[in-house]
Amino acid sequence: MNQSERDLEMTRLPHQTGYIYRLRFSRSGSLAYIGHLDLMRTFERAFRRSGLCLMHSQGYNPRPIMVFALPLGVGIESDRDYLDVSFVLNLAVQDILSAVRPCLPPDLSIISGWQTQESKGSIMALVSAATYRLEAPGIVCAIKSLLQKEEIIVKKKSKGQIRSLDIRPLILDAIAKDPIKEDDITVVVLAGSHENLRPDLLLSALVEYAGYSQDLAANCRVIRTGLFAGVYPNLKTFEELDKIC
Amino acid sequence: MTRTKKYEPVILDRSDLLAVENPARYTGGEWNMTIKDDVLNQIDATGETQYVRFAFCFPDVYEIGMSNLALRILYHVLNLCPYVWCERAFSPWTDMDHILREKKIPLFSLESKTKLADFDILGFTLQYELCYTNVFQMLDLAGIPLLSSERSEEDPIIVAGGPVVFNIEPMADCFDLVMIGEGEEMILELMALMKKYKDSKQTQNRMSKEDFLLLAEKIEGVYVPSFFTVTYADDQTISSIEANRKGIKNRVSKRIILDMDAASYPTDMIVPNTRVIHDRAYLELFRGCIRGCRFCQAGFIYRPVRERSVNTLCEQGVALERNTGYDEMGMLSLSTSDYSELAELTDKLLAAYEGHHTSLSLPSMRVDSFSLELTQKVSSTRKSGLTFAPEAGTQRLRDVINKGITEEDILSSLELAFEGGWNSVKLYFMLGLPTETIEDVIGIAELVRKIEKLYYEIGRRTNSRMRKLELTVSTSMFIPKPFTPFQWEKQDSLEELTKKQMILRDRLRSKNIKYIWHDLDTSIWEVVIARGDRRLGAVLLDGYRAGNIFDAWDECFSLKKWMPILEKHGLSHAFYATRQRRDNEILPWDHIDCKVKKSYLLAERDRAYQAIVTPSCRENCQGCGAAVFGGGVCYESK
Repeated sequence: MNQSERDLEMTRLPHQTGYIYRLRFSRSGSLAYIGHLDLMRTFERAFRRSGLCLMHSQGYNPRPIMVFALPLGVGIESDRDYLDVSFVLNLAVQDILSAVRPCLPPDLSIISGWQTQESKGSIMALVSAATYRLEAPGIVCAIKSLLQKEEIIVKKKSKGQIRSLDIRPLILDAIAKDPIKEDDITVVVLAGSHENLRPDLLLSALVEYAGYSQDLAANCRVIRTGLFAGVYPNLKTFEELDKIC
Repeated sequence: MTRTKKYEPVILDRSDLLAVENPARYTGGEWNMTIKDDVLNQIDATGETQYVRFAFCFPDVYEIGMSNLALRILYHVLNLCPYVWCERAFSPWTDMDHILREKKIPLFSLESKTKLADFDILGFTLQYELCYTNVFQMLDLAGIPLLSSERSEEDPIIVAGGPVVFNIEPMADCFDLVMIGEGEEMILELMALMKKYKDSKQTQNRMSKEDFLLLAEKIEGVYVPSFFTVTYADDQTISSIEANRKGIKNRVSKRIILDMDAASYPTDMIVPNTRVIHDRAYLELFRGCIRGCRFCQAGFIYRPVRERSVNTLCEQGVALERNTGYDEMGMLSLSTSDYSELAELTDKLLAAYEGHHTSLSLPSMRVDSFSLELTQKVSSTRKSGLTFAPEAGTQRLRDVINKGITEEDILSSLELAFEGGWNSVKLYFMLGLPTETIEDVIGIAELVRKIEKLYYEIGRRTNSRMRKLELTVSTSMFIPKPFTPFQWEKQDSLEELTKKQMILRDRLRSKNIKYIWHDLDTSIWEVVIARGDRRLGAVLLDGYRAGNIFDAWDECFSLKKWMPILEKHGLSHAFYATRQRRDNEILPWDHIDCKVKKSYLLAERDRAYQAIVTPSCRENCQGCGAAVFGGGVCYESK
C-alpha cells in the first residue's frame, strides 16, 4: 500500500461515516504556536461545545472522525486550511457554521464550509501544493537568489536519521505581489504526503545558500495562504474541486 | 520603579517562542480565558484603572499550574468580582528563563501580556515546598524586590496561599501577607480592602502599606509574617514567637468554606490549547478526608470533611462538559470512594453523558470490590492500570500510620481485579516511616511477591491464558509534615534510606516487576524546608542567587549546591531533618491554628507507637477539634 492509499484508507471506513463537511479555517496569534495534535484536540473540543454530534470511529477507542488536509507546523499561521469532519446528522452548512463559530477559541476561525462526499477521496491524499507567505526584511531578494541555484541540498531529520535532500525541485514558484516591497513574498511549494517542503527547511536554506541572516530567518512570519490539489501549474483549490464558488 | 502609563503588552519574538520547549506555555489565548477590555480601555484613556489588577502566580510550568484546582477556583471567584481582573502567570521553564534574562524582558501575564510589576497584587499558590525558589524567580523576572522589607509603597502586594502556607516560615520575609486555609471568601474580603487601598492613593488620605496590612490582618485567616517576631535559644530551637504590633491576634486560625453547595465553583474552566498534566474538567466531590492517615498533612489541615451534594455536582458536571468540551470528567477529592453517594453520582453523570463519548475518571479510590465495579462501569475505553497505595509492607506498620487496610483487603480485591482481566497494577509505598525496621521493608517485597504469585494462581485456577503481569512498585520517602501526628519525628538518614532502597531493589528483581524509587536528594531537602523556620529564608535566597530553580524537578535539583549554603548560614541538616523534636518544643508553625488540637496530634502519635488504629471520622468521632467550625462530617449524625 503506498502512502496515498494509506491516507485514503484512514477515512474510508467499512461502515457509515456520517455526513462529511469540509471546513476552511484560519489560525493566527497564540493558536499558531501549538502543534498538530493540539490543534486537533482544540477543534474536537470546539465541536463538542457546539452541541453537534460528531461521528466517531468504531472499536476499542472511538475517536471523532476528523481529517486535516495538511498538518501545520508550530509557529505557522494560516489563512486557508481545510479539515473534513463527520457529523451524525445531515445539517445545513449555515447551521453548522453558526453553531461552531461561537465555540472557537480566539485566534481560530472557520471561514466557510460545504458538504462533501467521501467518494471524492481523502483530503489528505488530494493535497499536492501549498503557498506560504513569508514576511521579513529583505526576504524577496534572498528567495530570488536562492531560486537561481540548480540544486539546494539541506539536511533533513527524518525518522531519527539526518539525511540530505535537494529541495530545489520542491519549489515551484515565488511571487512578490508588490514589486516595490522587499519584505513580502509568496512561495508555491510541493505539499502533501508524497513530496512536501516545510517552510522551516526553506528558511534554513536561505541562511545557508542565500546569505540571509539567521536572526531574520528565525523571526520571519510564515503564513500558509493556500492548499491545492492537481498538478502544477494546473492547481485547483478545494472549493474549485468541489465546484463551490 | 516607574509604572507603564499606557497599555503596552509584552510581545515575545517569534524566534524566541520557537526556540523553547512548548511555546504555548507563554501565549495564552485559551477558550474561557477572561479578558476585561474595560481595564485596558481605562488604561489607554487615563493611564490608570479603577480595577484591582490581580496576577495569579503559579511557581511552576504552565502544564502543572493549569492542572491545579485552586487556580481554577480562585480565577473564577476573582473574575466574578466586578472591580477585580485576575490574570495568570507561570514560571517560565529554564529555556525561557534564559531568554527573558538575557533580553531583559519582564515576566508578564498570559491574558493581557502586562508586566507583573504593573499589577496591584501578586497571589502565589504554593502546592509544594520545593517551589519556593520559583517564587523568587518569578518576582525577580518581574523586576520586583524579593523581600517584603525591600519593596516600596509602589510595588505590588505579594501574597501566598495553598497547603504549604500552614508553615510558610522559611518564606516569611518574602510575602507581605499569607492566607491560611481555603481562599474563596477570604480573598474577596481582601479584594474589598485592596480596592479601598488603591482608591485611597488617589486621595489626600493615602493609606500606607502598613495601614493596609494592619487592616488586612483583621480578616480571619490572614497572617502577616512581619507582625511576628521569632527568637531562638542557644540550642537553635525557637524560644518565642510573639506578635510585635498592638491588637494583633496571637494565633492565626485557618479559614474554611462550610457550605460546599453554596460555594462558587467554575463551570467555565479555561481549556488549554496545549496538553496539560490533568487534561480534563474536574468536579470537587468534597474537602477533607475521614481517614486520618498519620503521615498525611492534607488529612489534617483540610478537616472537617465537607461534601457537595449529588444535585450540585450533577448540575456542575453537565455545565462543565458543555462549556469546556472536555471528554473526561475527573472526580476530585482526597479519597473518592469515601464520597457518601458515589454510586448515585456516577450513575447520574453517566446518564447525562449518554451518547457523548464522555468518560469519568475516579482517582484516589480505595481497594475494594465496590470500587472495582465502579471503575469498570465508568471506564468506557480499555482497562487501564489499577493503583493501590498500601504505603507500608507489614500490618504492624500499616497500623502505625493508620492506613486502615489489611493484607487480606489488598489480596482479595486484587483477586477480583485479576479475575476481571486487569493485568497492570501500580503499588505505592513509603520508606522511612516512624518505627520502620528492616522487617517492614522486606514486608514490601513479600507483599509484592504474593501479588505476583496470586496472578498466576488465578490463571491456573481459571484455566485461562493470562497476559503478562505488569507490577509497578514505587517507593517515596516519608517526610514528616507540620500538623500531622508525625510532626515531631525524625527522618531517616541518607545512608539508612539508601540501604532500604537497595534491599528492595535486590528483592524485587523479576520480569513482572518494575521498581521505581523516588529521588532521595529532593526528599532529604524537602524535609528541611517543610519544617523549617525563618532562618531558612536567607538560605533559600542565597540558593536562588546561586541558580537553584525548579527544585521540584529531579533534573534541576542539586543537593550538592544546597548543603554548603545551609552550613554557610550556621545551620545543619541534622537539626532540621534527623532530629526528634521534644513534645513541648515550640514549633515554627505554632502560631498557626488549623483547629486540630496539638494534644490530639500527640495522642495520635502515641497510638501510632502502639500500632493502634483510629477509626474514621464517620465511624467514631475522636474529638480532634475541627468540630469548632460547626459543620461537615462532625455533625452528620448529630
